[in-house]
Amino acid sequence: MSIQVQNVSKMFGSFQALNNVSIDIESGELIALLGPSGSGKTTLLRILAGLEGLDEGAILFDGHNITNVSPKERKIGFVFQHYALFRHMTVFDNVAYGLKVRPRKERPSKEEIAKKVNDLLALVKLENLADRYPSQLSGGQRQRVALARALAVEPKVLLLDEPFGALDAKVRKELRRWLRKLHNEFHVTSIFVTHDQEEALDVANRIIVMNNGKIEQVGTPEEVYEQPNSPFVYDFLGNVNLFKGRLHNGKLTHGQFEINVPTHLDSHDDAIGYVRPHDIHIEKENSNNDTVAATIVHIHLLGPIVQIELKREDIDEYLEAEVTKEHYRELGIKKGDVVYIRPKQLKVFVPEDFSI
Amino acid sequence: MTKSFEAQPEAPLTVNRTATKSYALQESALIKWTFITISLLFLSLFLILPLVSIFVTALEKGWETYIASITHPDALSAIKLTLTVVLIVVPLNAIFGIAAAWVITKFSFKGKNLLITLIDLPFAISPVIAGLIFILLFGAQGLFGEWLYQNDIQIVFAIPGIVIATLFVTFPFVARELIPLMQMQGITEEEASISLGASGFKTFFLVTLPNIKWGLLYGLILCNARTIGEFGAVSVVSGHIRGMTNTMPLHIEILYNEYQFTAAFAVASLMSLLAIITIVIKNFIEWKAEKS
Repeated sequence: MSIQVQNVSKMFGSFQALNNVSIDIESGELIALLGPSGSGKTTLLRILAGLEGLDEGAILFDGHNITNVSPKERKIGFVFQHYALFRHMTVFDNVAYGLKVRPRKERPSKEEIAKKVNDLLALVKLENLADRYPSQLSGGQRQRVALARALAVEPKVLLLDEPFGALDAKVRKELRRWLRKLHNEFHVTSIFVTHDQEEALDVANRIIVMNNGKIEQVGTPEEVYEQPNSPFVYDFLGNVNLFKGRLHNGKLTHGQFEINVPTHLDSHDDAIGYVRPHDIHIEKENSNNDTVAATIVHIHLLGPIVQIELKREDIDEYLEAEVTKEHYRELGIKKGDVVYIRPKQLKVFVPEDFSI
Repeated sequence: MTKSFEAQPEAPLTVNRTATKSYALQESALIKWTFITISLLFLSLFLILPLVSIFVTALEKGWETYIASITHPDALSAIKLTLTVVLIVVPLNAIFGIAAAWVITKFSFKGKNLLITLIDLPFAISPVIAGLIFILLFGAQGLFGEWLYQNDIQIVFAIPGIVIATLFVTFPFVARELIPLMQMQGITEEEASISLGASGFKTFFLVTLPNIKWGLLYGLILCNARTIGEFGAVSVVSGHIRGMTNTMPLHIEILYNEYQFTAAFAVASLMSLLAIITIVIKNFIEWKAEKS
């Protein structure tokens, strides 16, 4: 099912939770709503589910305006942040609930319900725990029950609120992979909320980055990571080094750096260049005079990637660089060495970009 | 998942039975036994001794007098009236209590704190004053007195007055029991139910009610005990008409004032039995609630 969010605004008292938000989501997409807490992502998800009303705007499912349709009529599956399993029901009854509460005419027979529930429990690999109560399950198992319960009603949209937030790192990774697999099999339009950029980049096929009740950027994981359109997105997705300096005639001056920025030909006193750690080039010998000397303060080996903390010689600032292990071995550098660095790629934002 | 979400509903007034013995808090045997002796002495003197004396005095003149006292028409009428009031008040307060707790915990609205304060009002004011309020409202000289008289409706000095006064006094028990419980449980299970397509009606009966059932029963037991025992408010509105508007506590008072001690204590022993049964049920419910 396709979803259109049209100019939606929502206030909580004097707090603007959503400010004129519009999105088009196509059928079968797997979308991540990414943003810091208070950015409005959960509010938007709850509005889509009908659990929250909106002040202005409209929500369209498959072109039909469902803004005033009650949540029970929307045919959505909602997975709550803390699962919200019915504590007095067994796993089986939890999953069967959505089918059992249907009006008599639409309700499947007892046998059909049992078959469906058992199929779903097999899908989430919990068939042996059907008689357990939620309090007897681990966090990951509860999450899977919550997913099975939401899928039982054959929703046209699956909405997940911080689905892996409360789980430990390993279980989270496993469930992430599982959710992607599930989505590939069922192709139900799915939207999940997360504040974890890695999760969004890993799972979603499109990311909506939100901040202060507004959408900052919409794009594939690659787009939002490689071409952030605002300082906020740059900052929020991944680590970044800031080069604050003067912009003049297409050159950004920062300490001894003079970096060509052909995209900006105007002058600014306080422009900021954003450089990803892996876009910092490191060499042992000063081959070229566009580099700056820096001392290695700390080396952190993290699997295939080596994080290097550097202190610049020209100005009193620290930098973070990332190189592959191979490259690190080739360089043969160690803590305390002086190396020469330059940014391979840099994106400049001038003050006007921040005020949007 | 944080601990708080796994916490099971527990009646707020229960003592934590699984409290661990802290090494740091262990006292010497002397202090321990001194305190145990003091509390046991206090309990025997102020609780067990009076209870025993009720039964002793009631049976002083033998079983026949005892049976005669509790089967006296006035006594039977008092018992019947008390049970009638219980049958009306307890279900009504179950409904009011659930409604109030529901409104307070599941919605946010202006004046919510005022409502919570109002629920406590019957605890704060003396039952005698509660009774007087209803005399002032519904009595012959009261605010609605004239209108009630013209329409031939009798509230004070009749069963409706007793029911209203008892409702007022016992209102907080159910609501007070449910509010903290429902606040702790939050509203996400209800939201989950609605999102799965259940109606509000089904959500209440399949999700909310099972979650609060032990707290509700606990509140009802307390409400029931107070309804049987309520004296002050009922005394003011009942008019003490023998065989008509006397509840058990009022009947006991009349017998006592007429120096019919054995009869008074016989009816008192019946009420004590009801109280003991109540306590047993209450403990059973606490034990059940802890287990679930």
